[in-house]
Amino acid sequence: MTRAALMGSAALAAWGAAAAAQDAAGVVSHYADMAEAQYADSLAAAETLDAAVDAFLAAPSPEGLQAARAAWLAARVPYQQTEVFRFGNPVVDDWEGRVNAWPLDEGLIDYVDAGYGGPTDDNEYAVLNVIATESFELSGETVDATEITPALLQDTLQEADGVEANVATGYHAIEFLLWGQDLNGHDHGAGDRPWTDFAAGDDCTNGNCDRRGQYLDAATDLLVTDLQEIVAAWGADGEARAAVTADPQAGLSAMLTGMGSLSYGEQAGERMRLGLMLNDPEEEHDCFSDNTHNSHYYDGLGVQNVYLGQYVRIDGTLVDGPSLSDLVAATDPALDAEMRTRLAETMQALGRIKTAAEAGFSYDQMLERGNAAGEALVMGGVNGLIAQTESIERVVAALGLDGFAIEGSDSLDDPSAVFQ
Amino acid sequence: MRPILIALFLSLPAALHAQSGDEYAPASRAATDAVTEDAARAIVASAIDGHVLPGFDVLAAEAEALAGVASTDCIPGSEALRTAWNAAFDAWIRVSHLRFGPAETDNRAFALAFWPDTRGATPSALGQLLSDEDPVIGTETGFATVSVAARGFYAMEFLLYDDVLSAEAQGPYGCALVRAAAVDIAATAEAIRDDWRDSYAGLMRTAGDNAHYQSAEEALRALYGALDQGLEFDADVRLGRPLGTFDRPRPARAEARRSLRSLRNLVLSVESLRELAAILATAPGADAARVDAAFATALDRAARLDDPAFAGVDDPQGRLRVEVLQQAVQSARDTVRAEIGPALGVAAGFNSLDGD
Repeated sequence: MTRAALMGSAALAAWGAAAAAQDAAGVVSHYADMAEAQYADSLAAAETLDAAVDAFLAAPSPEGLQAARAAWLAARVPYQQTEVFRFGNPVVDDWEGRVNAWPLDEGLIDYVDAGYGGPTDDNEYAVLNVIATESFELSGETVDATEITPALLQDTLQEADGVEANVATGYHAIEFLLWGQDLNGHDHGAGDRPWTDFAAGDDCTNGNCDRRGQYLDAATDLLVTDLQEIVAAWGADGEARAAVTADPQAGLSAMLTGMGSLSYGEQAGERMRLGLMLNDPEEEHDCFSDNTHNSHYYDGLGVQNVYLGQYVRIDGTLVDGPSLSDLVAATDPALDAEMRTRLAETMQALGRIKTAAEAGFSYDQMLERGNAAGEALVMGGVNGLIAQTESIERVVAALGLDGFAIEGSDSLDDPSAVFQ
Repeated sequence: MRPILIALFLSLPAALHAQSGDEYAPASRAATDAVTEDAARAIVASAIDGHVLPGFDVLAAEAEALAGVASTDCIPGSEALRTAWNAAFDAWIRVSHLRFGPAETDNRAFALAFWPDTRGATPSALGQLLSDEDPVIGTETGFATVSVAARGFYAMEFLLYDDVLSAEAQGPYGCALVRAAAVDIAATAEAIRDDWRDSYAGLMRTAGDNAHYQSAEEALRALYGALDQGLEFDADVRLGRPLGTFDRPRPARAEARRSLRSLRNLVLSVESLRELAAILATAPGADAARVDAAFATALDRAARLDDPAFAGVDDPQGRLRVEVLQQAVQSARDTVRAEIGPALGVAAGFNSLDGD
């Protein structure tokens, strides 16, 4: 304080502004480092999944399928924490649909139960079943699908006919192939695809086991190459990094946009409240594996990570550095305390959903009509996310970022958002 | 916004620490207030008294009238029933952008209006109730637990106008379902109006003196956000959904096309948003005439369209006219963002269309 008192006020103001600019640069740079570490972890976990799938397909067995499922569940932990990097960063948002698009009309990919229905007004390819179909018409063109390759999935089937529910690649397509449809309705239990759906010769169930294996192999290979691409994009010369570091103030705005858009429109709305309001177990985010409680929990944790500038890697090490919290605390300590409290309250609410689900009260049971305990659990998460969004808006104002347009993803024109 | 001197004062200790390398100084670019706290409160009060409360009053009254008609006349093809439903739906569209606060509580806005319905949840939930003759609809509290896809104005549209479902709804169960839906709409509309009157309007008026709205600026931001998002929804969803892409127009995705209300809803919404914009544009520095002219242009384009369900998006000529209307709505939004946002000193917050 003594030194400050000696300085002229104009000089002081200039010096303060320069220090603030430097700090914003430090915060966005650490944010990019965190993103790089999180996508690198997601890639490592996807490589483990790919190896488990390769081993299973080489010698199909119940244990092999179980190992592949376990690897998928583990891979979701780091990936879900990255979702907060999507919104506000066009590089990530343009890429993201390839790996985590949802919800999907899974009949596009493989056989489904009779109760699934047929083509819908929105999607005439909802029951295409490419695994059973070597050649078909798509938007007026004949498609040769005798070989199921990564290129076929990525270039032809993904978003076929311009319909977003035609999800051919990514975590949820793989999840469907590993678990199959969850036919338990609101009752406890996940999808129960038999390992023999991938067995050779007479052991094969539900037909086309070799093509199903080709699909699973192609989809896991693609997941790895897609993640390699995004890790590079967050590298020293990557586009995703540049998008947030080139102008630190715009970078801060992107960080907060990611936090707010994921909290409010995406997670509180599309993913949580919609399923509850529709009482529809198919509206679960990880509906085949019944892993939705974790999906929500790690999404929420990702938001908290960004504010605190901290991330625990899959090898247990803590990544830590300059944070939004530091910036806010220096401007408005009460607001920093409010923001931290609300993030912690959300994590407690999401933790309760996770705890109950792990104890056997699964997420689809929570969505059942008239299930008051389930509704209270899910709404606890929704309310926490809405409350923290209010605080995020206050942080935007406190950091003087109001001038930046706060938009969601560039998929704002997508009509499937729920709060409409 | 904190006055700039206080911001600098608070930044001092951290700035000193920053030189030693551990702490991080704040952004010192505290924005100046665009409107005074008193002026902001006055604008909020005008919006509540001139726009919000009257809108929800009309909705509650029309919804009650709908429930009254349905109690004596529940045949899907009935003109009296359709007229009452249309009047109540009109009233909802005029307030449908005010989704924060009482409309958000207990998912009331969704219970009144679940649309767009990208996975066909409404016909499937209604079909299920009808085929099961599910007794849950027998009580008001029971019906309130039903999927939002089977409640509200859009579900009633299927019951009154969809060829398949209106036929299925001819019997006694269908009659009970129509009545339950109308009574539920009335109860929901009344709950929203009462919350606004009894508590929420007060929270906005006393912004700065309560925890929910910590300043008048926050209350303004909620209203401005509703205006901005209302225009976004009109352009991107009400018009954007049926437009689809040039190669793949999607006329079947037009809002309330079965009752030929798609254009009507768009017009009612833009008219109501024009009213809210005029109130917010009383902020010093906003060019209210320019804002109003942008809305007038959009409504003029709509008046010339003569395509009630946007069915014309299928042919190049018809499509062009819907695109021109969409551009006019987008242009009204741009004008609002250029004139009103800066004058109020607020940006629109996060909205439900964020995400994917």
